[in-house]
Amino acid sequence: MNDITSPYHLRPPIMTVKVEDAMDIMIVRDTARRAASLLGFSPARRAQLSTAAATLAELVLKTGDSHLIHLNGVIDGIKVGLQISSETPWLAGVSINNVMVALRSKLGDLVDDIQVVGKEPPKIFMHVWLNEVRNFGDEDDDDVQS
Amino acid sequence: MALEVLLVEDSKTQAAQIKETLESVGLRVRVAYDGPEGIKDAIENPPALVVLDVKLPTMDGFQVCRRLKRNPITQDIPVIMLTEKSGPQATMSGLRAGADDYIPKDIFASEHLISTLQELGILE
Repeated sequence: MNDITSPYHLRPPIMTVKVEDAMDIMIVRDTARRAASLLGFSPARRAQLSTAAATLAELVLKTGDSHLIHLNGVIDGIKVGLQISSETPWLAGVSINNVMVALRSKLGDLVDDIQVVGKEPPKIFMHVWLNEVRNFGDEDDDDVQS
Repeated sequence: MALEVLLVEDSKTQAAQIKETLESVGLRVRVAYDGPEGIKDAIENPPALVVLDVKLPTMDGFQVCRRLKRNPITQDIPVIMLTEKSGPQATMSGLRAGADDYIPKDIFASEHLISTLQELGILE
């Protein structure tokens, strides 16, 4: 099992899910909601976090290998947040800039920050901070039916 | 007296399942089968909570949610979107529309729904 690391200070909860098949995506989503709940995130923010975690799980599942996704609390000064992280050996040798663009494109505003750190193997870190007020903006009523 | 929930869901099978979950925790449930019917129902008789599907005929759940959140009569009613659309864009669309939670219809949906009802103060 790979070690849980973070650019920030770790704090409970510390949870890990092994992603091996499609069912595990639901388990990642559920675990993220539970971790976010323990940290005091609102239901709407839990929805955000769990979707981000499930999206990462979908990505790692596509590699065909099993991977661990870690969900843990982090502290940065007075800020408390939830970190979603995973080792990503399939990204070794890929430009970090390209990875960041792809992740941002996929995840949009679901997370506050995304970092890809290290090379052997690279690790993806995504954070959502509890204390940050997020404005989702407003959309027109004329949206296309989806 | 039990709090009343308005469920907006076009599938009668899924409506029956969600209704059963909500009634199992002591809530009363009335069902609207499309968006305009749901909005009209919410305005005429404001419920304690709206549980809203996304894929609806005539008007999708995002539009329904926005209209509820812009109407002074219904803007303070919590809205939980319960949906098969679970991707990042759909989630953000639901939250931007003003939903108080966005729950995918998976095996954990009932548990998450009840947990959110407790969080929102609908259940003790």
